[in-house]
Amino acid sequence: MSGVLRTQLGEAARRPSRLLLTGMAVLVASFVVYATVLAQQITRASMLDGLSDTPKAAALVVTGKEEVGLTAAQLSLIEMVPGVTAAAARADAGGELAGRGLNLTADPGSGPLARVEVSKGRYPSKVGEVAVTPKTADRMGLAIGTTFRMATSHDDQGNPGKPRTLTVVGLVKAQDDYGQQAYAPQPAISALSGEDSFYQVELAVAPGQEAQVRSAVEAIAGPGGKVRSGADVRLDEVRSKADDVDDLFAVVAMFVAIALVAAGLVAASTFRIVFAQRTRQLALLRAVGAGRGSLVGALIAEGALTGLITGVTGVLAALGLGHLVPVIARATGTNLASPGFPVLPALGVVALAVVGTVLAVLTPAISASKVSPLEALRTASMSPGRTGIGWPRAAIGVLLAGGAGLLAAYVILNLPKPDQENYDPQTMLLVVVASGGLAFLALMALGPVLVRPLLAAAGWPLRRFGPLGRLAVGGVGGAPRRAAAVSVVVALGVTLIAGSLVGASSVQALMERELASSAPADFEVTAADTPLDAKLADQVRARTEVTHVVPYRKVTGVTVAGSQAKLEANDLAMDTVPGIAKLDVKQGSWHDLKPGQAVVSAFTVDVGGLKAGDRTTVTSGKRSIEVTVAAVLPDSAPLGSGLVLTPQDLTRLGAPAGYSGLLADASGSGDAGRNAADAALRQAVNGPGVGVTVLADQRDEIESALGTLLLIAIGLVGLTVIIAVVGVGTTTALSVVERVRESGLLRALGLSRFGLRAMLTTESGLYGVLGAVLGLLLGVPYAWLAVSALGQRAPLQLPGFRLLAVFAVLVLLTALAGVLPARRAAKVSPVVALATE
Amino acid sequence: MTTFANPASATLAAVSAVDLVKVYGAGDTAVRALDGVTVGFERAQFTAIMGPSGSGKSTLMHCLAGLDKATSGSALLGGTDLTAQPDRVLTKVRRERIGFVFQSFNLLPQLTAEQNIMLPLDLAGRRAERGLLRHLTERLGLTDRLSHRPAELSGGQQQRVAVARALVTRPEVVFADEPTGNLDSKSGAEVLLFLRNSVRELGQTIVMVTHDPGAAAYADRVVLLADGRVAGDLDRPNPDTIAEALRDLAAGR
Repeated sequence: MSGVLRTQLGEAARRPSRLLLTGMAVLVASFVVYATVLAQQITRASMLDGLSDTPKAAALVVTGKEEVGLTAAQLSLIEMVPGVTAAAARADAGGELAGRGLNLTADPGSGPLARVEVSKGRYPSKVGEVAVTPKTADRMGLAIGTTFRMATSHDDQGNPGKPRTLTVVGLVKAQDDYGQQAYAPQPAISALSGEDSFYQVELAVAPGQEAQVRSAVEAIAGPGGKVRSGADVRLDEVRSKADDVDDLFAVVAMFVAIALVAAGLVAASTFRIVFAQRTRQLALLRAVGAGRGSLVGALIAEGALTGLITGVTGVLAALGLGHLVPVIARATGTNLASPGFPVLPALGVVALAVVGTVLAVLTPAISASKVSPLEALRTASMSPGRTGIGWPRAAIGVLLAGGAGLLAAYVILNLPKPDQENYDPQTMLLVVVASGGLAFLALMALGPVLVRPLLAAAGWPLRRFGPLGRLAVGGVGGAPRRAAAVSVVVALGVTLIAGSLVGASSVQALMERELASSAPADFEVTAADTPLDAKLADQVRARTEVTHVVPYRKVTGVTVAGSQAKLEANDLAMDTVPGIAKLDVKQGSWHDLKPGQAVVSAFTVDVGGLKAGDRTTVTSGKRSIEVTVAAVLPDSAPLGSGLVLTPQDLTRLGAPAGYSGLLADASGSGDAGRNAADAALRQAVNGPGVGVTVLADQRDEIESALGTLLLIAIGLVGLTVIIAVVGVGTTTALSVVERVRESGLLRALGLSRFGLRAMLTTESGLYGVLGAVLGLLLGVPYAWLAVSALGQRAPLQLPGFRLLAVFAVLVLLTALAGVLPARRAAKVSPVVALATE
Repeated sequence: MTTFANPASATLAAVSAVDLVKVYGAGDTAVRALDGVTVGFERAQFTAIMGPSGSGKSTLMHCLAGLDKATSGSALLGGTDLTAQPDRVLTKVRRERIGFVFQSFNLLPQLTAEQNIMLPLDLAGRRAERGLLRHLTERLGLTDRLSHRPAELSGGQQQRVAVARALVTRPEVVFADEPTGNLDSKSGAEVLLFLRNSVRELGQTIVMVTHDPGAAAYADRVVLLADGRVAGDLDRPNPDTIAEALRDLAAGR
């Protein structure tokens, strides 16, 4: 045993670079895992500083009985407790200004307990003065010096009291700026709200007197009141936000786990190749009496050593990077905390690397140990790799494929019906993931059988390309097991990327569709009771700050085809609203709607049993009209309606002449254009019961959130792709070493150096082609299945251009991975190569 | 029967070495594998190179075939001195003017027998001479084996495929390195007989390195090497004269 082990380990010690090459995938994986751990540390540590709203100086936080709060009398008692150096009572008031809410919050404005800081002007000192945040000043037109009237108190029924005159005297910086905040000292706020209770009082306490103050305050707060230490309150606030960070990293961990599986696959296939190269040496050990068991043991020990060394290297590399990033960030002005050195996770990662590598080395070691001692005596020849797979493996593969198919069939059969209730997308998604996992395992089992037919198709153009192409295709097809092992890892990466792209573009289309229907323009002006008249629409049109002004009418309580469901109909001229241009249809076309035609929502179709081209009756009260369904939309119709008709038809249904509302876009771009348009609209339509909604803000938020999400997903999936490319590189490198004799022969027969390089590079690119084809074949259908299983009626998209780009980039990357090994192979003289055994 | 006269057989030496020296390594560990070899191999002749292990016979062949670069002296193929040529030229020379037969066949496992035979022509972007492929495969008994892969062929069949591959380009010279070393005696005899016949019928020039006096007896001439020098030259040899010469060589002359 020890002799065998010594031989094996001696080999590893003699060529440490080869050991690193063999374990390259493990190294990358260890690096990624530990880097993720450090990233989490950095994120948590950096976020904790800025998370809490409660000022650091607040030693105690007092709250009163629920629903009641603390009274002014209690506050004056608390303020008199010896040891209390400052008290900040929190109260708020609020009202509506030009259809938009403005919150008035009590804050001392200076001193240890202030949450806001004056950046311009001064802090309010008497009733009627307020300070606002910069965004509020922009959005609501409340620059310093502005005087406005607003109702700030409300009676028990929520009716506004009499308006008060307020003056903006300063701008303040708050931790978060939502664009609707104003601040003033507590007495002023209490005067404005007309209430004398506070939801919370924060206290600064002289050092050392906390305990006494606490018991005194507890007595004042009475039963139902609560006194907590400031530290506890801050900790709670931090915890709830830190949980968000941990949730985010839980998602990251899932992708890292997939990358780990990929690394394991790469490592297993690399070991297989490495051991195949050493067949003769292993056979020799067997011939001189080494037992099969000790051979397996030695090979596994070698695997464990590889895992240990590459794991440690990966962790150290990640640690270096983790400590470098905050330093660089600080130099560029971003404050990031250092990650420290989490020892336990580091040990865990190394252990994971060792265990993972040992698992990866297991089957290759066992099959390598089955070598016959006679192999040692055979002259080296270019024996072809085994092409087929044994029947047990085939049977397992077919079973796995069958399982994947059954699960997929289950999902397809149980896809949500339109507007089905009690649909549980989470379970369905899990089933989709399980089916995908099984399909992938089936691919691993059956890979070698699939390679040849795939290659016959994918390699066809190459074969026309002359002997080099033929040789490259033959080289890959000649060792289908090796080709399958590498391609499967590439396929894993491509599957994930293709899935993300398809999923993202489906969700994007869904969002665009929803936005086209719910937020088709930057602004919507709506009339609550009395309709808007045509003159007002003209006034709005006359403003240069807005464009694409489209008024519309709405009729509620409409029924279709005699069903009971009450729908809403509008007469929006869809062709004139740019934001609707992207709206897709299920059937028909909504362009150029003519009298007697209707655009209907998916829900309308369901309740009326309709399809495009059908004639149906639309009823409102006692009036009915006959219309033809021109288009069926995949979701709701614009403005959340059930159907869109022409103005003539809506009038026939009894719609009054006045408009229900109008849509408008900002003429200028960016925030400035939007604010100008907002102000202009509010000015033009200023009147009771008319509201202006900024739909653009909502759209921006959704779009940027979606973009960020896609970036993160691609980044995470990228890990798996990197490992796959590393796998192709090592496989090509090792297969070049394995086939050095073949290279020598080709050179002896007159293949030029360039030709040999081209051939080997093409081969490694072919691994990419095979993997990418397999990955697309798996990834796109599964992404569609997952999108359907979401139950959101998202359209199934095929982002052809992006997928083609992924395909091209991946083939290029894998070909590049083969460039170095190919160069090395081409440098070897044919005599040396032919003499190699 | 068709004959394919080699157009180059008009002049005499197809390939020759002039004061050829090859040193491996440097300093104390330097080995003089070839120590001033001068020898010529005639056209349309079957020559065997013999000698004990380490006598330099393989090195001589590698240098003459443009596979290895000599340290000094000249390796002449036709009028070309191979020692002075860059790799690009040597590659072309190997592809178009030289054929190889190896001890371990060296067929590409992923190609069929026919694809293996046509490989050098493929690499050169040339087509086979009309009828030559058919002639070779008929004479080598490979006609019904052409679509098989090497793994499905016997050792003798594999070596006959290798021989066909060496001859199909009509090279100026075929180098055979222990072509019968991995074959049983019957298969070996078939290959040697075919090689001798191709010299007679096609005017092919063949240089063969071998250990086996029986194999060398098929040749028209035997050149003996010892310690990197030419140590003897036998014309029209038979197994007995060869064995005698080798005994003399082993006894130190």
